[in-house]
Amino acid sequence: MSEGTDASGTGASAQPKGIDPRGPRFAASITAVLLMIAVFLGLTGLSTATDSSGWAISSASLAERASDPGFIALLIIALLFLWSVVSPRTAPWGALFRSVIAPRLSPPTEREDPRPPRFAQGVGLFVTTLGLILHLLGVPWALPIAAAFAFVAAFLNAAFGFCLGCQMYLLLQRTGLVGRERPAAI
Amino acid sequence: MTLINALIGLAVLLVATVALGIFVQWRQGRPRRHIPHEVIEPTRLGADTLGETATLLQFSTELCARCPGVHRTLAAVADGREGVSHLDIDVTHRPDIAKHFHVLQTPTTLVLDRHGVVQTRFGGAPNREVLELELARLSGETAHV
Repeated sequence: MSEGTDASGTGASAQPKGIDPRGPRFAASITAVLLMIAVFLGLTGLSTATDSSGWAISSASLAERASDPGFIALLIIALLFLWSVVSPRTAPWGALFRSVIAPRLSPPTEREDPRPPRFAQGVGLFVTTLGLILHLLGVPWALPIAAAFAFVAAFLNAAFGFCLGCQMYLLLQRTGLVGRERPAAI
Repeated sequence: MTLINALIGLAVLLVATVALGIFVQWRQGRPRRHIPHEVIEPTRLGADTLGETATLLQFSTELCARCPGVHRTLAAVADGREGVSHLDIDVTHRPDIAKHFHVLQTPTTLVLDRHGVVQTRFGGAPNREVLELELARLSGETAHV
């Protein structure tokens, strides 16, 4: 969202701008599968376990919370989200799509702006990080619920091509949280 | 949590997500009528005039993957019909316009009649056939007047 990156000044990439829209959807389907696994590990792990004194996570040590399989799975997913936000071109699923999948498909009929998928990865990063932090603080159910929200977004993107990031961007902008340019005061 | 409960939880999550996706898809492309009637002044949106028969008023944002595709569709529809024009408003930096028209998702398309009255509203990518039908209805109305 920084203006300098793709403002008209660069001009080097004059040919078909944008990325193949099937790339982010391919990545989203892998992410959805990984998130499904994280939800499952979260549900069966420490996050939802109870013992005689109540929630098991409340009495667990920080190391125990951090070594929960669900936590590790979601941490890996969060790091992948971070990768896609920081450097979308080198992110593994996108690279896999371009090198293995795309050459076997017909060329894309249209291209899309790479910023929406990147913004959506940022939303995914935010949700999963929130779940990880709450889990480390000892909040029960935080892990599978955060993973489930991210799963819904990834699945809707993969299966229905529904761009949750677009909607969110506009909503956030209306509340003034993003989008630095306010209309000039008249 | 036991394995069985966790698997049930996963199944519920999957079914709920698919249902949500189907619902969203069903709701998009479906026109909404009976919207509070408002006359839209083209100058407010930076356009000179409205179409003689109808105007397709599209709201887009920069971060919107489907907006360019919808733009092409609407432009083609407008080109194919006499007196229909297409306006694409980027509301990324105009939250005031987005707020005024209650644009919660992009693309959102309003179909205006020749007076600038909002006739139909499409959230998401509009169904082209439904759109053509709406325009036929509007041009029919004009013919009778």
